[in-house]
Amino acid sequence: MIRFFSRCLYSLCLITSLAVAQAPIEALNKAQARLLVDPSQHQQPTLLTLWSLECAYCKKNLTQFGELLRQYPNIQLLTLASEPATGEHAALLQKLALPGRHFAYGNEAPEALAFAIDPNWRGELPRTLLFDGKGGRQALSGVIAPQRALQLLGLEPAR
Amino acid sequence: MKLSSLPWLAILLLSCGLQSALAGGAHGQHGELAVGLASGPDGTLYAALVNHGHLQIQRSQDDGHSWQAHAQVNREAEAIAADGENHPQLAVDAKGALYVSWARRFEQRFTGDVRFARAENGRDFSAPVTVHQDRSQTGHSFPRMHLSPDGRLQLIWIDGREGLAAKAVGGEYAGSALYATHSDDGGRTFAAEYKLIDHSCQCCRLALSQDNDGSLLLMWRQLFANGERDHALLRLPRQGAAEPLQRATFDAWRIDACPHHGPALTVDGAGRRHAVWFSPHGETGPVFYGQLDSQGVQGQRAVGGPRASHADIASLGQRVVLLWKEFDGEQTHLRAEISDDGGRNFRSSTLGQSNGPSDHPRLLRHGQRLLAFWHSAEHGLQGYPLP
Repeated sequence: MIRFFSRCLYSLCLITSLAVAQAPIEALNKAQARLLVDPSQHQQPTLLTLWSLECAYCKKNLTQFGELLRQYPNIQLLTLASEPATGEHAALLQKLALPGRHFAYGNEAPEALAFAIDPNWRGELPRTLLFDGKGGRQALSGVIAPQRALQLLGLEPAR
Repeated sequence: MKLSSLPWLAILLLSCGLQSALAGGAHGQHGELAVGLASGPDGTLYAALVNHGHLQIQRSQDDGHSWQAHAQVNREAEAIAADGENHPQLAVDAKGALYVSWARRFEQRFTGDVRFARAENGRDFSAPVTVHQDRSQTGHSFPRMHLSPDGRLQLIWIDGREGLAAKAVGGEYAGSALYATHSDDGGRTFAAEYKLIDHSCQCCRLALSQDNDGSLLLMWRQLFANGERDHALLRLPRQGAAEPLQRATFDAWRIDACPHHGPALTVDGAGRRHAVWFSPHGETGPVFYGQLDSQGVQGQRAVGGPRASHADIASLGQRVVLLWKEFDGEQTHLRAEISDDGGRNFRSSTLGQSNGPSDHPRLLRHGQRLLAFWHSAEHGLQGYPLP
């Protein structure tokens, strides 16, 4: 019996570790945040989407971006949770099978991190920064329709 | 199990444990600054704070400069919401009895119930109860509690049951509903809950204020036609049904997003309704002040600068106070505007600064004064006198 439970425990921990390994979430500080939002750092169309577990609309936004990336693999996706990372964040990112790097707020003051990311952002979620890869950057709040995202990334002509 | 696998198991166990500890620690670090405040009949101030699943009451005899442990509410730990928008509710009656309400979170995200406990002697709390009869696994959260001078306890919260029901039959329901209950026996029993309105915003705090005739005035962010997230006002007479919903703000902010930024409302001695709210879509703002009447908003203007947030408002006679926090790129400042002529003229004041995370600033009537309060990680819970 002990052997059985040991194996179960071992498997459980292995699964948990693998899950985390597949969706590592990097804690972000202010200096890293400034780099992340610098348009010159992005040489390809890039979506940086801010989200939170407390935001129901964010899941829809993330899901739509995931689908968009499957059609447009040249788009880079970066996600940033506006709260410290937990296992729940990793689980959701994994469930949505989102590629790219994933970030979350580190230990600095949330106001300071938000300011470093986007001084014009008031905290509403989702918030997405769109980089066209040619030095252009735009920011939008709310769920973004895929077609609109493509336009802002410079991949589709504006209608 | 082979001995050789023991070290790996130990590493994996440590890894699992560390992840859990980090998750829990992260929540405790930034997520438990939200407070509920109340002023007692003998001049004592009370604060309800969340500490690792327990609501704790502290008291202050010096206008919030120093606080002492007073009582613990729930003996059994539970997941208590403790963010600025969804913060514990606290009230004290004329005899010193304490009433506390809070949102409990269930394991599944966006689900939970509204809890309540009472201490007739101000110290020994009853076991918490859930105030609504609905037990469906959906959201019952963001409670707002009001204790009227005649002893009626009113509780209003954001409720997800309509959305759950619509989803069960493959339909959709925009936003959430607002439900309410009340108690006329000091919280021993509550009326069966009743729906006030459909289609509220899902994650913004409610504002509840008493009108001069004893009615309650509720202000909240509502989902209007075309997805406009403006504010609405509902008058709840002491007897009878609520009056029809009245649109309170007209900013036409159309967005599918969680602002997590609710309004505040007060009625001054002359019956004027003063409000502050958040609407970040135009050239000015994002926080606005205005007086609400049957014609709409009078004198709408921005409060503070472009990073002003989470404003509160209170009045006492002709005095009207606006209080908010504002990040300047380095520090968060606690700022106020004060009027002593019913909102015609305001003067500005900066009350304090903080480095690091902080709760929303809060105003409270304490005897014949209004006091400002701010709970920051750097300075703790502090009362700030208003000039």
